[in-house]
Amino acid sequence: MNGIKILLITGVAFIAVYFFIRLRNSLLDILLLLVLIAAAIVFILFPDITNQLANKLGVGRGADLVFYTSIIIFWFVILKLYARIRKLEQLLTSILRNKAIEEAQEKTPK
Amino acid sequence: MTNAFVTIIIPCFNEGPVLRQVVAELVNEKKYTIILVDDGSVVPAQSLIGDLPVTIIRHIANLGQGAALQTGFEYVKKLPADYVITFDADGQHAPSDIQQLLAPLQDGRADIALGSRFLIKGQQNAPLTKKWVLHAGRLVNYFFSGLYLSDSHNGLRAFTKAAIEKIALKENRMAHATEILYAIRKHKLRHIEVPVTINYTFYSKSKGQSVFNSIRIFFDLVLHKIFE
Repeated sequence: MNGIKILLITGVAFIAVYFFIRLRNSLLDILLLLVLIAAAIVFILFPDITNQLANKLGVGRGADLVFYTSIIIFWFVILKLYARIRKLEQLLTSILRNKAIEEAQEKTPK
Repeated sequence: MTNAFVTIIIPCFNEGPVLRQVVAELVNEKKYTIILVDDGSVVPAQSLIGDLPVTIIRHIANLGQGAALQTGFEYVKKLPADYVITFDADGQHAPSDIQQLLAPLQDGRADIALGSRFLIKGQQNAPLTKKWVLHAGRLVNYFFSGLYLSDSHNGLRAFTKAAIEKIALKENRMAHATEILYAIRKHKLRHIEVPVTINYTFYSKSKGQSVFNSIRIFFDLVLHKIFE
């Protein structure tokens, strides 16, 4: 095992621990996370697998394949986060709105 | 016929230098109920115009013009209002245009009257870049809502109470202008465009929408389509 593999696996391990502490709410999330971690570790230990996969899909190198898929995953994550932000914004808006309306002091023209 | 049940909603955010004059002009007409939605201005509107007979609703944080309008709409629903006007706080609208907007609603010809600065010939005193942005806005609005209107983002509008009940703006920022068009289509509201004058002062130009902001509106619209 060479240096980069140890470094990457340590990184994945830290992320895994962090996520397991944070999201213990849904079984689906945990399963998905387990699959992703397992895939990450397998690919780190046996980078040749990615090369074979890449060749089958018509991509030159395994590293490129990983790069392309991560771009798609990142876009997906960004959209999910944005949807979350919109929801929060709508919640915040309705809270502020109700408070504002409650506190309004009605004045009619004299 | 009395105008006692015409309510004017003025969304406002940091309009300190002109706010008092704009509101006072409307107050002097003496026939409107005026609701000012202070959208988290740094200097609360209460301290600037607290003495005028105007209901002030204050968001404690800045949410955007769309949110301010919707707050006004929610508040109006509880009032005995027949017609609701939206009026910008930066002094670009003329109070004398309000009657023209109300006329088609009072005649029962429309549910919503939208102010348009481009219907009067020779009154095209908009700055050139502003014109281009608004023309692009028309096309974008047409693309998203299927309604082709001559002025896409004019803050002066008149609604019947029934129309207000059907509008629920979710876009907090400027994309609400297109959301109103969605509501028109969805609920088959009858709309009409009415020529209004826009007073381009140095102040209103500096507060107005920039080209960059219109790009943001575009993205808000795209995201609205995706998420709503």
